[in-house]
Order: sequence, then C-alpha cells, then structure tokens
Amino acid sequence: MSWAGQEDIYLSTSLASYLDKKLLVLLRDGRKLMGILRSFDQFANAVLEGACERVIVGDLYCDIHLGLYVIRGENVVLIGELDLEREELPPHMTRVSEAEIKRAQKAEREATDLKGTMRKRMEFLDLD
Amino acid sequence: MLFFSYFKDLVGKEVTVELKNDLAIRGTLHSVDQYLNIKLENTRVVDQDKYPHMLSVRNCFIRGSVVRYVQLPPEGVDVDLLHDATRREARGG
Repeated sequence: MSWAGQEDIYLSTSLASYLDKKLLVLLRDGRKLMGILRSFDQFANAVLEGACERVIVGDLYCDIHLGLYVIRGENVVLIGELDLEREELPPHMTRVSEAEIKRAQKAEREATDLKGTMRKRMEFLDLD
Repeated sequence: MLFFSYFKDLVGKEVTVELKNDLAIRGTLHSVDQYLNIKLENTRVVDQDKYPHMLSVRNCFIRGSVVRYVQLPPEGVDVDLLHDATRREARGG
C-alpha cells in the first residue's frame, strides 16, 4: 500500500486532511460526538481522542465527556471540521450541567411519548 | 463507475446534498470517491435553526451510504454526454 503525498491528501476524499483536527461526528442515531481524529480507514471507522457527546435539548446544551472512542464506520453520517474561530453554537443557547440536560432529555422524551399516545387515542377521529 | 466519473466532473460546483436523516447541506463539491463519499467546502445547512450544532462546520465529509439526493446546478448536467456514457457502459465499456 502506498501513502498519498501531502498535496494529494488535501485533494482526496479521504479523511487524512482531518487528522489531528477537532471534528464533529454526526451519527445515524442523531448523536453528536466531538473530538480529535487520530485514525480512520476506508469504511470511515474512526478513532476520536478526548471525545465528548454534545447533547442539545431546545436551547440547552451539555458536553458529556467520554474519552477515547472508536466509532464503527457504518454509524457515521457526517464528519465536519470545526471552525475554532467561529462560535460553536448560537449565542442564545445555554450550557447546563450533565444532570440538568439528562432531566431535560427525559422531559422531552416523555412529552413525545405523550404526544404519541394522545394521537393513538384520537385515531378513531380520523385526523389528517 | 459512471456516477463516480460524473460526480468528478461536478467538482468545484455548488451542490445541495440531502441526507437520509433529512438534513440538507449546501456547499462547494470538493471531492468524491468510489463509494460516493462526498467532501463539501463552505457548507451551510439549509435549515440552520433546526441544526444549531452545524453552525461552526465549514468543511465536511459525508459518508456515501447516508446520502438520499444530490441536487445539482442545471448547467452541471450534460444530458447528451450522460446519455452516451450510459449506453457505452451498458454495452460493457
């Protein structure tokens, strides 16, 4: 196997140009992981160092520290390079503690579940 | 390899990639590979308010398997050329 030259790396579709950079990895289940890319392969399997999950619920967010993560490629949707110059999130969003975001997440999940059951009960009305 | 070659010709053009999770991203096509993985530059998400975490992403790599559509500029499609290439491919190169 031959290694691409430095100039090819920036022209190719490979993740080589993202190595050692801080990235946002979007997964198929909607999770957002952030970390530094240390390794990858042709399936987009990836190793993230100092990974954390960014949980966003409405205007609240929290970064939950995870550590070293190996991500199986099939779960990857998108890998984005984070522009460190720019604001990472809109200014109206507030950072909260892990406990608080878990609470908000639970409340949101319960609200969706409730909406689902309400809808089910109203099905006989033949809405839509 | 037809669509791979086809996408290679679109490098440098502005495209919108719609993913299977309904996220739509517009950007300049930087490169594409045999899996139709796509790299975009100067990206912006079409529905920014719904995806605040994408605000600071300028360049991105999209895994080919999660792409639903690629919307192209009309001038990026040479129908006659594509027509000929398709027939050539169907005949076996």
